[in-house]
Amino acid sequence: MVEQSAVTLDATARGALAELLLSVADDEFVIGFWDSEWTGIAPMLEEDVATSSIAQDEIGHARALYEMLAELTGDDADRIAYGRDADGFRHASLLNHARGDWAFSVARRYLYETADAVRLAALARSADPSLAALAGKMRREETYHLLHADAWLSRLAEGGGEGRERLAAALSVLWADAQDVFAPLASEEELVRSGMLPEPMRALHAEWHSRVRPILDAVAADLPALAPSLDGRTRRTDDFRWLHGEFTSVYRSEEGALW
Amino acid sequence: MTERIWEVFRQEADGDPMVHAGNVNAPDDELAVHYARELYSRRGESHRLWVVPRDAITELGDPDLLRPPFDRTHKKPGGYIIKHKLEAAKQRAAAEAGEAPDG
Repeated sequence: MVEQSAVTLDATARGALAELLLSVADDEFVIGFWDSEWTGIAPMLEEDVATSSIAQDEIGHARALYEMLAELTGDDADRIAYGRDADGFRHASLLNHARGDWAFSVARRYLYETADAVRLAALARSADPSLAALAGKMRREETYHLLHADAWLSRLAEGGGEGRERLAAALSVLWADAQDVFAPLASEEELVRSGMLPEPMRALHAEWHSRVRPILDAVAADLPALAPSLDGRTRRTDDFRWLHGEFTSVYRSEEGALW
Repeated sequence: MTERIWEVFRQEADGDPMVHAGNVNAPDDELAVHYARELYSRRGESHRLWVVPRDAITELGDPDLLRPPFDRTHKKPGGYIIKHKLEAAKQRAAAEAGEAPDG
């Protein structure tokens, strides 16, 4: 693989990298906003601070990715984040769901963090040096996020009773959409060929699936083996439209203003 | 969840003393460490944390043991003046260093 910087990429490669960056950035951005909805109402004060802080970390990762994307496409990071309509977002359908109860948020964070860990491990080996460096940096913080999500999943699973029931119910609702973190990208062939994405999404999906399946089988029986769906990053829901209205409200109040 | 209290000590930079920062409520060791991290270093303000269950701390707070009622001034070094001896020793050391500049 040849070392290349973003500026020397041709138009096809630039478009492909832009699609990849947008998909990861939107995932981080949207889960960050959903989880920030717990600020003030998490199960205990310490958890409130922890969840809010992790949500802020995700927004921070999204910001770094949007900035990289803005540089690549000559756009503006704030405009990409707040200036698109809901249908312009490319996050996985897993992140279309509203926050739900605590068990639902724990189930989603677990599904997302485990998938994100597999994806980041691959991106850290990207042929694009800027993306590889950023993914490596994000992994250092995501390790802690994964530990936190893991701690809560096992507490709800092993605690039994209502917590476990709610967790199992949440997993069965979210399971199909969780696959879509690995939904195929339109420019995936180019991404894999150039090494910007070192492995195809279907390979990353298989790796994630074999990793989480034994753990989830102990909580929720009968989760079917599913493939990511083709429209896994383009389907939008009313839940997300509501969230989009919330997080763009300040930006829309005075478009182009400097804060 | 049954919560316990964990006392948190933090070190600002490598080599600094560990200073009591505050405490967290947590159901177990693992979450106590997560919460200590978020409450006392989420902005990167700590180099190291110690997270200690409060009931693992043996406290000594008895004034009869810590501040007995008799005069203690004879145990303080105040009566012993070393200022002049210290200066003389420094001068001697400087003179010796001057004699052997290449060490």
